[in-house]
Amino acid sequence: MASLITCPHCGLRPKEEFAIRGDASRGRPEPMDSDEAWHDYVYVRANPRGRTLEHWHHVAGCRRFLVVERDTATHEVYSVVDAAEFARRAAQ
Amino acid sequence: MVRDYNNRHALEQKLRSAPTPSAADHLMVGHWRTMATVLARTGQAEAVRQAIASVPELSLRFSGPGEWLVVSEVEAPSGLVRRLGELCDGRAHVVDQSDGRVVFRLAGPNVRSILAKGIGLDLHPAAFTIGGSANALCGHIPVNLARTDEDTFELIVPRSYAESLFDDLTKMGRAFDLTAAFSD
Ligand SMILES: [Zn+2]
Repeated sequence: MASLITCPHCGLRPKEEFAIRGDASRGRPEPMDSDEAWHDYVYVRANPRGRTLEHWHHVAGCRRFLVVERDTATHEVYSVVDAAEFARRAAQ
Repeated sequence: MVRDYNNRHALEQKLRSAPTPSAADHLMVGHWRTMATVLARTGQAEAVRQAIASVPELSLRFSGPGEWLVVSEVEAPSGLVRRLGELCDGRAHVVDQSDGRVVFRLAGPNVRSILAKGIGLDLHPAAFTIGGSANALCGHIPVNLARTDEDTFELIVPRSYAESLFDDLTKMGRAFDLTAAFSD
């Protein structure tokens, strides 16, 4: 099992236990923002090569959303934090 | 008996044949086990954990931050929910799971070799200590795995997965002549 994620609640786990939920670096637009902003947010996806932030859901473990910072080419994992903790830090 | 209409265990069909003498590695299925999920309110996780851990006959199984399965061998379902309600005193939500989950107890000298065929966790005695527990996948089935004794592990699954997990465990243990029976 090549792809291992260190869940802050469960420890080192194989990727089969997770569901990847996409880009975690983008903020949600305000409710009354333009249609273009919402269109971008909902439909437009970058497919970056390299270091990215993603939401990973630990479906078969603690069932928490995590923010995983990893390299999409090498799968080197730089950091894993609980999404609530990530949001708290971003708000500061 | 009042509850005749729903008094059928999920594995009644599978374990119907006459019991054979149990081998060194043996799978026991609890007929009726009492358990409940406890989800602590924000900031109350440690207080709730300590309150439940202070009662020796309640077994805490970790399932997430501030969330546990609490298993009891002595209480009836209604008694356990009442007991947990008193212990947590408004600091947690308690939901009875006794009829919703099935408990498998796997014991024997080869228990780790059997489990390692389906579970991607470090099961070494020093890494997975007695009293330890974790949510994990067994094959494709989500289970709560707990080590309850030297060479004894318990797997708790949602009732509808019980037959599939039973078939998987039987295959995983075939090389070790694993036997299976209801424990009571
Ligand atoms: Zn986890």
